[in-house]
Amino acid sequence: MRKALLVAVRDYNAAVRTKGFLIGLLFVPIMFGGVFIVMKLTEGRGDTTDRRIAVVDHTGVVAPALVEAAERRNESEIHDQETGKKVKPAYLMQIVEPRATEMEVQRLELSDKVRAGELFAFLEIGPDVLEPGDEEDGVRIAYHSENPAFDDARQWLVYPINDRIRSLRVAAADLDKDTVDRLTRWMPVEGLGLLSVDEETGEVRGGERDNTAAVLLMPYAMMMLMFVLIMTAVGTLLTAIMEEKSQRIAEVLLGSVRPTQLMTGKLLAAIGVSLTMVSIYLVAGVFVAGQVEASDLIPYEALPWFIVYGLAALFMFGAIALALGSACTDPKESQSLMMPIWFLIVLPMFVWVPVLKDPTGGLATWLSLIPIYTPMIMLIRIASPVTIPAWQPWAGLVGVILFTAISVWTAGRIFRVGILMQGKPPRITEILRWAVRG
Amino acid sequence: MNAIEIRDVTKRFGAVTAVDDLTLSVPAGSVYGFIGPNGSGKTTTLRMIMSIFHPDSGSIRVLGQEHHEAAMDRVGYLPEERGLYRKMKVRDVLRFYGRLKDGDNVNGDVDRWLERLDMAEWADKRVEALSKGMSQKVQFIAAVAHRPELVILDEPFTGLDPVNLDVLQEAVLELRAAGSTVIFSTHDMSTAEAMCDFVFMIFQGRKVLDGTLADVQDRYGTDTIRVRTEGAATPLQGIPGVERLTDRGQLQELRLESGADSQEVLRAIMSRARVTHFELGRPSLHDIFVRIAGPEAEEASDA
Repeated sequence: MRKALLVAVRDYNAAVRTKGFLIGLLFVPIMFGGVFIVMKLTEGRGDTTDRRIAVVDHTGVVAPALVEAAERRNESEIHDQETGKKVKPAYLMQIVEPRATEMEVQRLELSDKVRAGELFAFLEIGPDVLEPGDEEDGVRIAYHSENPAFDDARQWLVYPINDRIRSLRVAAADLDKDTVDRLTRWMPVEGLGLLSVDEETGEVRGGERDNTAAVLLMPYAMMMLMFVLIMTAVGTLLTAIMEEKSQRIAEVLLGSVRPTQLMTGKLLAAIGVSLTMVSIYLVAGVFVAGQVEASDLIPYEALPWFIVYGLAALFMFGAIALALGSACTDPKESQSLMMPIWFLIVLPMFVWVPVLKDPTGGLATWLSLIPIYTPMIMLIRIASPVTIPAWQPWAGLVGVILFTAISVWTAGRIFRVGILMQGKPPRITEILRWAVRG
Repeated sequence: MNAIEIRDVTKRFGAVTAVDDLTLSVPAGSVYGFIGPNGSGKTTTLRMIMSIFHPDSGSIRVLGQEHHEAAMDRVGYLPEERGLYRKMKVRDVLRFYGRLKDGDNVNGDVDRWLERLDMAEWADKRVEALSKGMSQKVQFIAAVAHRPELVILDEPFTGLDPVNLDVLQEAVLELRAAGSTVIFSTHDMSTAEAMCDFVFMIFQGRKVLDGTLADVQDRYGTDTIRVRTEGAATPLQGIPGVERLTDRGQLQELRLESGADSQEVLRAIMSRARVTHFELGRPSLHDIFVRIAGPEAEEASDA
């Protein structure tokens, strides 16, 4: 064990003191926080060119209200309230008289104007929108632009148009607008968590407003941390083994240490590197949560499971990486041999949303009981607000421990043979034969 | 006492028998040379001594230990495929290797060896800054810094310039003088002749030579004539009683057929060219090696 520790200390120092570790440390938050940061940075930096929109109003009474609404918006909404800087485009409504006899020609002309850049879009309001009958054509409101799918202007127009039409209909029916507003008030449905009794005070707690951040972010963060944990260990191990194989260091070491000692040392070093990285994230995460007063979002009850599953995952995936790494002679080979393993590791990334939507469903339950997925999927389920059957995390743990033991044992047998191999990479069948024969 | 005792050891890799029923004793305090063509089983034998490989059958005792893993810390090993961590400093990498050998007081020895091999000024440089010769010296130190009783060097002198070659050869002889047993493999027969107390040759997995240089040469008798003549080698071809003629440039080497009279041969040479040097002697280790493993031997075994 003394020799394994010597190997572990050297490997740990070699890995932690590289630029790679620092870059890796920064990479994860940049990558996963990046989307959010980019959104923040580009917010208000979009195209603020004014949008000229032609309105062909067959009713003749809706368009003027749109002009007013656009003017109100241009005054109050498009400037940053603190800096006064313009952050959104102004909408400039332009009323165009419909040419009833030749509508197709007029639409074509307006389209050409949009293409030429004179207009941003044009809106056509059907003649019968105030009193919709059976005829489809007359009640149509059509918005034409170059890219109508992603168009803030179209989305904005929906409310002022409908507001105006409703007002006109209410007036036509000779009703009081305030009464109608009160009668037709739209009611939202609030999402709340379950109630529980506080064990210390006996008070009934909960029924708190459901926090989307807590529901989505925390299980996601847990899974990401687990992913980083595994990736770091696997990466560290592959780098270390590749150096020893390509620089022909392995045999020098094997003149002093047993292969099992060498393997144990490497595994411990990689686990150390992983835990170092994740501890930094955890401490930083708790600190940031404290700063933004979101500490109560952290699912502390899931942390012990995170640690237990994390350690098991490190041994499990570490052993797989060691076995495959030892069988390769250069980094390129190890990459291609590791490819299927990467797919296995990243699969939870694709299914975490359905798992979180229905943590007690079939997909979530079965996937979380497959040992290689237990660490990530079971963790998502534990961190979700839904209570999962208590036996399942334990059953998952038993599976993980058994599978880990098998992985480490098999890896040891492959490692013994593989670490001295040079030249042509072995086929998968050969590697399996080493595992069986030892 | 023997530092190493190998008894009836066989090692196979799939269908290939790398080492075939090998028995060998290496006396303590000796310098033992392992020779043999590439792929003949030298490295496999050394790896089995280091218990990196385990024999399929037979037994190996190292420094008196049957389970010789227990003796491993008392052995220094320089493998043929050797490397150092490129990003580590020379002194750190040597201390690391030393500590792996249980050498807790290895720091002083590392510094002493760095001084001894003129490497002191490189101690704080990274390994990647070293030239090939220098890193070979560092690797040598890694094998010997923990004061091993047995030192196993797989081709320690390959690729060295004459200055560094002398330095390392002296260092090996110093180890013996200090009481260590040294085994090294080499392709350079003159090095083996000059340095080794015993020579062991393995060919196609089998032991073909084992003993002192004199023992080995005695097996072949006094059958080699070395002559220097004025003019090229051509006139010496086809002399009766000569089994083989080897042109060594300035020197011609003639191997006599068994029973041939060396005086007859000398007369025949003198009738063809002016002789400036004539020597009748035992074959060199180089010649013996070629006789066993050269194309001539293969032809003979094919026939």
